[in-house]
Amino acid sequence: MSDEGKLIVPSDLAKLEEVDGFAENWMNGMPFTKDQRDDIAISLSEVVTNAIEHGNAGIVDKMVTVVLLRIEGGIRIEVTDQGGGFNPALVADPTDPENLLSESGRGLLIVHHLMDEVDVEPVSTGTRISLVKRFTASNTG
Amino acid sequence: MKLKSERHGSVVVMGMKGKVMGGPDATVFRDELKNHLDDGIRKVVIDLGRVDWMNSSGLGILIGGLTTVKNAGGEMKLARTTDKIQSLLMITKLVQVFSTYETVEAAIAAFSE
Repeated sequence: MSDEGKLIVPSDLAKLEEVDGFAENWMNGMPFTKDQRDDIAISLSEVVTNAIEHGNAGIVDKMVTVVLLRIEGGIRIEVTDQGGGFNPALVADPTDPENLLSESGRGLLIVHHLMDEVDVEPVSTGTRISLVKRFTASNTG
Repeated sequence: MKLKSERHGSVVVMGMKGKVMGGPDATVFRDELKNHLDDGIRKVVIDLGRVDWMNSSGLGILIGGLTTVKNAGGEMKLARTTDKIQSLLMITKLVQVFSTYETVEAAIAAFSE
């Protein structure tokens, strides 16, 4: 197990499985519960989907960079796109009754519930979303 | 995601399996659902008991299916929602949108109530 993993993929939703498998292998042996691993997998798929569809506007030549970092007491995931910027404040509330039947727009809401920290920041190449998941006391021995 | 359909009288049960994360999964589901509707089926149960996990794109697939079936004059119900999926339905308030049942049999029986 390395303290850092990095994967760069084109903006193609078919690459989600590759990203999922890469992160699953990288986390192998870490003291996460099955439920926490699912939280991480779901959240990673959300932010990579967001980077592909919104950040990079589905332009396949634009890349998505996934960095996995072992930090004190947990992991941090950084997903960076090459898009023109993303303002989470402009995302409509998916729980508003008017939006309940919308087929999209729930990703960040879910990520905020499943991860311990979520940070969205502009970087020189686009937008970076950072996620932190901590080991819980019961599974760190 | 893998998808398998089974007929139970006038009801079709579409069983999802694995990780449901959108992308190609959405096309597979839409195409299969359309085939069932073209065959005259109007009662659809989505069996989620073998889903490892589902993200918001997966929820979008379910909402798209619900809308499609309703527009065709039919009904769609969810069966065997896992704890994780149930928590996502709560977070997103989609519990207000879907009818969920603990077993496939209960979902099928609910059509005749």
